[in-house]
Amino acid sequence: MERRHFLRMLTGIGMAGVLPMSLVRPALGATPSRFVITVSASGGWDPTALIDPKGNALRADGMGPVNKYPASLIKTAGKLRYAAYADGVTPPSTDSAGHLDTFFAKHYSRLRVINGVDTQTNGHETGQRFVWSGRLEEGYPSLAALAAAPYASQPMAFISNGGYDFTASLVAPVRTAAAATFSAMAYPNSQYPTDPAQRSSGFFSTPTHAAVQAARAQRLTRLRVSEALPERVAQMAKLETVRKSGVSLDGLLAYLPATVSAGLKGQAEIAVAAFASGLAVSASLNLGGFDTHDDHDEDQAAALTALLDGVDHLWKQIELRGLQNKVTIIIGSDFGRTPFYNTADGKDHWNITSVMAMGAGITGNTLIGATNANFEALKLSASTLEPHSSGIVLTPKHIHRALRDFLKVPAELDALFPIPVEKLALFA
Amino acid sequence: MQASLLSLIRPLAAVWTLVLLLGLVALTPPVHAASGASLPTYFYPVLQIPRIDVQGYGSVTLSLVLEDAASQRFAIASAVPASAGLAPGGTFTLQSGLLKIPTVRSGTAFYALTLQLLPGDKFQVVSATDVVLPGQTAYAQQCASCHGADGLGGAVGVTLKNCANCGTLAGLTAKIAGTMPLGNPAACTGTCASETASYILSVFNGTSAAGSGKALAAIEMLPLDATLRAASLQLVSRLPSTSEQALVAAQGEAGLRTVLDGMMTEPAFYNRLSEIFNDWLLTNRYLSTNGSEAAIQLMRRYPTARWYDPGASSRGTDYVFNRDTTNDSVAREPLELINYVVRNNKPMTEILTANYAMLNGFSARSYGVDTSVFTNVSDPNEFRPVKLSGTPHAGILSSLMFLNRYPTSATNRNRARSRVVYDLFLDVDILALDGARPDGTAVDISSTAPTLENADCVKCHSLLDPIASSFKNWNLAGSFVKPRTWYTDMFQAGFNGTAFPVTSSEEPLQWLTARIVQDARFDSAIVRLLYTGMTGQEPLDAPGANATPAETEAYLAESAHLDEIQAKYVAANRTLKTLVKEIVLSPYWRADGLSDPAQGVVHAATGAARLLTPEMLHRKLNALFGFEWRGTLNSYSSNVKLLSTARLLDRRQYFGQIYGGIDSFTITERLSDPNGLMVFVQERMANEMACYAVPNDFLAPKSQRRLFAGVEKTTQLATTQDRDAVKATIVHLHKYLLGESLALNDPEITATYQLFEAVLVEGRKRVGVSELTTLPALCQRNNDMLTGASLSSGGVDGRLRDDPQYVIRAWMAVVAYLLADYRFLYA
Repeated sequence: MERRHFLRMLTGIGMAGVLPMSLVRPALGATPSRFVITVSASGGWDPTALIDPKGNALRADGMGPVNKYPASLIKTAGKLRYAAYADGVTPPSTDSAGHLDTFFAKHYSRLRVINGVDTQTNGHETGQRFVWSGRLEEGYPSLAALAAAPYASQPMAFISNGGYDFTASLVAPVRTAAAATFSAMAYPNSQYPTDPAQRSSGFFSTPTHAAVQAARAQRLTRLRVSEALPERVAQMAKLETVRKSGVSLDGLLAYLPATVSAGLKGQAEIAVAAFASGLAVSASLNLGGFDTHDDHDEDQAAALTALLDGVDHLWKQIELRGLQNKVTIIIGSDFGRTPFYNTADGKDHWNITSVMAMGAGITGNTLIGATNANFEALKLSASTLEPHSSGIVLTPKHIHRALRDFLKVPAELDALFPIPVEKLALFA
Repeated sequence: MQASLLSLIRPLAAVWTLVLLLGLVALTPPVHAASGASLPTYFYPVLQIPRIDVQGYGSVTLSLVLEDAASQRFAIASAVPASAGLAPGGTFTLQSGLLKIPTVRSGTAFYALTLQLLPGDKFQVVSATDVVLPGQTAYAQQCASCHGADGLGGAVGVTLKNCANCGTLAGLTAKIAGTMPLGNPAACTGTCASETASYILSVFNGTSAAGSGKALAAIEMLPLDATLRAASLQLVSRLPSTSEQALVAAQGEAGLRTVLDGMMTEPAFYNRLSEIFNDWLLTNRYLSTNGSEAAIQLMRRYPTARWYDPGASSRGTDYVFNRDTTNDSVAREPLELINYVVRNNKPMTEILTANYAMLNGFSARSYGVDTSVFTNVSDPNEFRPVKLSGTPHAGILSSLMFLNRYPTSATNRNRARSRVVYDLFLDVDILALDGARPDGTAVDISSTAPTLENADCVKCHSLLDPIASSFKNWNLAGSFVKPRTWYTDMFQAGFNGTAFPVTSSEEPLQWLTARIVQDARFDSAIVRLLYTGMTGQEPLDAPGANATPAETEAYLAESAHLDEIQAKYVAANRTLKTLVKEIVLSPYWRADGLSDPAQGVVHAATGAARLLTPEMLHRKLNALFGFEWRGTLNSYSSNVKLLSTARLLDRRQYFGQIYGGIDSFTITERLSDPNGLMVFVQERMANEMACYAVPNDFLAPKSQRRLFAGVEKTTQLATTQDRDAVKATIVHLHKYLLGESLALNDPEITATYQLFEAVLVEGRKRVGVSELTTLPALCQRNNDMLTGASLSSGGVDGRLRDDPQYVIRAWMAVVAYLLADYRFLYA
């Protein structure tokens, strides 16, 4: 847990327009040129079971194989190599978008894969923080929060579904729930919000409702002006800003399916609907089930199926709304899993991981970075990004440095949370 | 004139002597003499001497304020009995009138001062000489470039106040001798290391009480009656009773302390306490809301874990209840331990040293222990301490919930558990040590055991691994397994530079917790946890090298105040109830304004104003209206008995998560600022609750009404008497709902009256035209909300459906207006 930092708090006050965060915020109503979605495979996925396959050759140190499928079954899709299902694992139907073959056949041309990323940790909390903020220590906002910060005045600028969603007070994260609650919120004066036929029947008549709302707004302004404690002034200013944003959730409801799906798919549906209706700029999606200390092959395969199925569904939603050229997706996890099995047929935490990107601005069918047979990161030449013995080891710092440049994070924001590391053309 | 000073000192000394006689404080040895809180300081314009011994009288804390810089003359600002635990920082000799202070800190310099008492209770400096403390030179030359001249975090931002190695002089000395300065530890060993350690502990681990006093003096505090209301709502989810209000009115702070003592015996207080501590521990991740057997699944080694399940074909109607209750009883174990310690006024150290677990009849059956200790085995609230066989308990740290919530692995080797122990129980963020972790390219990990051999790694692992290794007999699943092979290529069990004795018969984890609770940082950690929980604000971080004067002053003021609170808590045998009372009475919790607007920069974050959590808002509504916000309120009487039925604010499937709540699982951080969806939740709540609460209140006899005891549902604005009654009711509503005490002619009362009048007048014009004579359908009362009994029976129609004059709807508008108010939604 991080103690409050004075400077960050002042920044937070600024969010409400009292202090200079307006420097980095476009004029109210500006349309974001790009939406960002991060998908977190929470718990630590196994890249060797996905996009950095090794096969079942026995390790020289006697610790057994990295995987339990033969290297001969490793497959390719364009320039990408992906894993086979381990022996004894029942794969999903090939009709399922979560099947490895189906997913990569459909999406390899959109996917940019970065292997051999060293998270320098094997602790969940630390790994999530590093992978999603670019900083091992506490205090930096997640990528999705940073992307939404210039549009913080939008009512749902940043949608969070858990995981690492620290915002450094740059933007208020929004959390979502079941579809019925959206109706209740979209029509706060309606007695029957979920019934379109009776929706107009309010607790108050329209004129009375308007009078109450106007009185509330005037009262809040009076309170703020007369308040002496800066903390309360800031809180009132934030409340005022959010209330004045004049948002209508009608648009969101129009883009939501009649029944919002469960799990990652549902998170995807809400995020894309919020983008399409102009309410949100970024979203962090979150899926658990990857912390496979026991029965790794079976459980990891199931989690990966759900992940790939969810990502495919996310892409379908994006296509449905015609946002292919506006939404960039980053997929990652806390870290990787050991290149050997423990006594419970599980795999423990390993600091090497992979990152995948797809969508707007991303050149697909591209592979960067590499690991050796024991799933250890290889050094890369900073200029060619090819393995080089005197090169550098990729870390999430490099990923975020490149992502910030790629997403054109405003310089003022970038300077608030500096990442002092060499710039690599990872997403260029 | 000396008599004037003596007249100030004498009665205080008498009070102090009385306290001593009662045995409530111990002067020597100081509780944490090395903390440096006793060090006199000069922080322009205040010279603060935490403890002066006055020959033959006792000790006082003296504040002198510079009156005339040219003549270096000071006036007495205050003199109060010195707190327990302070070391003498100066002497005052009656005969000579000389005040001698061997060491005064001013910024990063030190002086020896002698002041002469002058007529008129003034002190004038008669000599001031530079003092160089042992270790000061070495610190300036070898440490200050990184840690800052003031020790509050320099270029790398690592503060030395409450630092990870600041538990003991020996521990810090060893750290310096072995690892500092970075890259050249041989440069400061032996005497250099011990003196530098002593300097750091005595100088940086104290605070400027003078600066603190100035900053604190600017805070205007809530009056005691408002403090009582706020504390009552937060701690026990109800309004204070008439007798409690009377006691506070009659006895002031003492009365408030008495009332708080009473409140802290109520079950609601322990619910709130669990909420506060769960925000840190997150062990509620295993409640049945996160899976019906989320906790039971952790008990595979206990054959009777699922005692409630006779098999799918034989399950009775009580199966689900027993399953969920058992699961939640197991899940609540660590939080119930905290409750038990607090309820029984035990020292908080016991949360880590308890040699027992807290079980009730349900969880006891899962653990397979004798249930005869329970009075009622079916009472889910009857938790008792039980020693589990074969389990060397170490309080929370050995609980199944903690060990699974913070799991380990063969590669992690309990280091994650160690990090959490540092964070939660030693107030140390281990990841912030020594700046950023070296990049992979910069670290030589080619040796067999880099965490033992590479200086870059040893920096953190020498701290992290001894605690990690102390968990060595607790496996990934949270089971105690002994003997268990442990890694030799890492630092072995130990704490603060002391290794766990290999010949000891103690369990390493028990050995560890016994030492953690003796460390002053454990006290700091408990203060931090509770302060954050009660105020909704984390204590300020150390300001670092580039801090503005305001940042530094804010940090020092808050830090000094928390040190003071901590000293009182320690002196009271570390009972949490003492800490609760001190926080409630602290200026930070009671802050309501600033007497000096210039202090606004320093107090940018002062105050306990916070957006109510969804749970707190849920309970507040219930406390004020007598019913909860549920869906749907039409079915309140039937679904109120069901814990899980549509509690709109504290259930994640409704608004709990949207409104910033946590599930302790995937969502672990509360939202402290409203967002675009939360304001809709606020508005719906206000509208819906007004719709139910207003007609419901009018149904009650006048004497039992909470809102409208002064008016009827037909009272309009036709007469002066009616208008006065309406205004008086509005005054009451502002007081009852918002805690505002306003006069009849206050502009806010006028504004609310104008809203009532506008809605009433305009609404009446629309009745029969565009609006009905009846209330909106859901607002009509046909049944008793709480019992469901029909209001139309026995030939008497007691229903409330009509509102021909629009009066009820006008009051609904007023209540909805107030329920979405900042002062309702924030504490």
